[in-house]
Amino acid sequence: MELICLGLNHKTAPVEVRERFAVGTARLGESTLELVKTLDVAEGLILSTCNRTEFYLVAPEAKPALEKLEAHLANKSNAPDDIIPHFYRIEKNEAARHLCRVVSGLDSMMLGETEIFGQVKQAYQAALEAGTTKGVLNKVFQRAFSVGKKVRTETAIQTGSTSVGNVAVDLAEKIFGHLKNSQVMIIGAGDMSRTTAQSLVSRGAHSIIVSNRSYDRAVHLADEMNGKAVRFDEWQDVLNDVDIVISSTGAPHTIVHKADVEKARRARKYRPLFFIDIAVPRDIDPTVADIEEVYLYDIDTLEQLANQAREQRQKQIDDCLLIIDGELNKMNLPGT
Amino acid sequence: MDRWFLIISTLFAAIAAIQGMLSIHYGKRSRWTVSWMVGAFCAQAGFLALRGEARAMCPLADLGEILAFLAWSLTLFYLLIGPAYRLSLLGVFTAPVVIIFQGAALIPGVLDADPVRLSGGNPWHETHSATSVLAYGAFALASVAGVMFLVLDKQLKEQDLKSGLFRYLPPIRELLISLERLLWLGTVLLSIGIIAGFVMPHSDSAIGHLIAAVAVWCAYITLTIVKKVRGLTGRRLSLFTVILFLLSLGVFAFV
Repeated sequence: MELICLGLNHKTAPVEVRERFAVGTARLGESTLELVKTLDVAEGLILSTCNRTEFYLVAPEAKPALEKLEAHLANKSNAPDDIIPHFYRIEKNEAARHLCRVVSGLDSMMLGETEIFGQVKQAYQAALEAGTTKGVLNKVFQRAFSVGKKVRTETAIQTGSTSVGNVAVDLAEKIFGHLKNSQVMIIGAGDMSRTTAQSLVSRGAHSIIVSNRSYDRAVHLADEMNGKAVRFDEWQDVLNDVDIVISSTGAPHTIVHKADVEKARRARKYRPLFFIDIAVPRDIDPTVADIEEVYLYDIDTLEQLANQAREQRQKQIDDCLLIIDGELNKMNLPGT
Repeated sequence: MDRWFLIISTLFAAIAAIQGMLSIHYGKRSRWTVSWMVGAFCAQAGFLALRGEARAMCPLADLGEILAFLAWSLTLFYLLIGPAYRLSLLGVFTAPVVIIFQGAALIPGVLDADPVRLSGGNPWHETHSATSVLAYGAFALASVAGVMFLVLDKQLKEQDLKSGLFRYLPPIRELLISLERLLWLGTVLLSIGIIAGFVMPHSDSAIGHLIAAVAVWCAYITLTIVKKVRGLTGRRLSLFTVILFLLSLGVFAFV
């Protein structure tokens, strides 16, 4: 029996191609069973996420099985011939190695991301319940999960945040701990503010106040975030209560001045205050950072921190591959 | 024999400090600090038990015993607060302070080599000594939290966020909450100690010590009330806490 993998991902296919082969989570088991029966192979599993769709099959011989699978996919999706080149074909040991890279987040769009681990587990569970995995796939996938865990614990592949939003959230947590007791004010209802605020909400921040020149837009974003809107000339009053301020207006001049913050200090009892300035030109006067309890980070610094994390993760790739090779060489996996 | 307990305790604290610092250096979380500090605490308890038996009272009769009691109190508060509030690295910062106190106690001549059995102990005197030293343990740990705050504050202000130290230091707000609670706890304990100090029979030579103790108490009560009522920046609160603790150690010059 031989293990094969045929798939496409964000590196080999644009989204308009990927979406043609995507399989919804609810239909994973059913689709896998249908595939195994149609192709008459021993075992099968479909992994489908927004960035990839991969078909893992176990058949007596790799080449004919791959050809049958390609023909089936071309036929089923009415795919023209130029779509097939977007697929990669991997066999035996290389297929197991590829799976370990996927599970470890090395093949992800955001290097080292952890979500893929759960998605592969979900796909495996669906196939297991559909009865399409047996001796080979069970061993290969279980091995891949243990290798993935080892890679994540023994290297820094998932260390640091690689997006501006997550860097800001990490910093907020470093200042305030759990964000459930933190109040957030958004000045300017643009997309960047929304994304950063969503990251904060996803980690527990629940009290969101939105201020925008257009009050209607402030109300709209506040509703979206389950928060409260305040008029643009009232944001200084709110400063007394908030812990985190995200500013992203399109103003050509600074909005938050040192004097505004100085005025609020006494009422705030000098509690820490975190400013995230993601506007260009900057909304917050840099001298605000001179105030003792204020931590001010602008877009350049946040980008720089995200880049550092990405570089740090890139440096870990060789170590991760060494672990994968070492672990796969330790045992003779069936189908490889 | 009692000295050996103190040496063993100091070694445990040294292992906790070195192993913790190495973990930070290699960017890993120190998992064994609490265990080493538990070892240090047990050895401290052994030392104090032997000295207490020899003295037939709370072992606070010489500077060495006071320093050892202070180190025990600091370790006790660390073990109560650090793991419960998940204040990582508190142990790594506490261990060096324990080493300094116990190292000083181990300097020849600081600890009575042959502790004399003391008779006619007064319960108010023992309450004064024990609660005061316990208060100093709380103030010492507050200072440790203050130092941790100052380090993290500097890193956040200077946007120097790459070190393992930054990664594992507890959040600013949690450090400040712990620091404030420890200040209150220490102030309450010191208040009991001061009251007991006035009630206990004391000689004229103890007046200087009591005045210094009252001055320390006034300073701490002012600091805690100012923080509560007016508010203080984290940096100032931490700096005042550390400076006040270092200055207040001068009280022992009058023992």
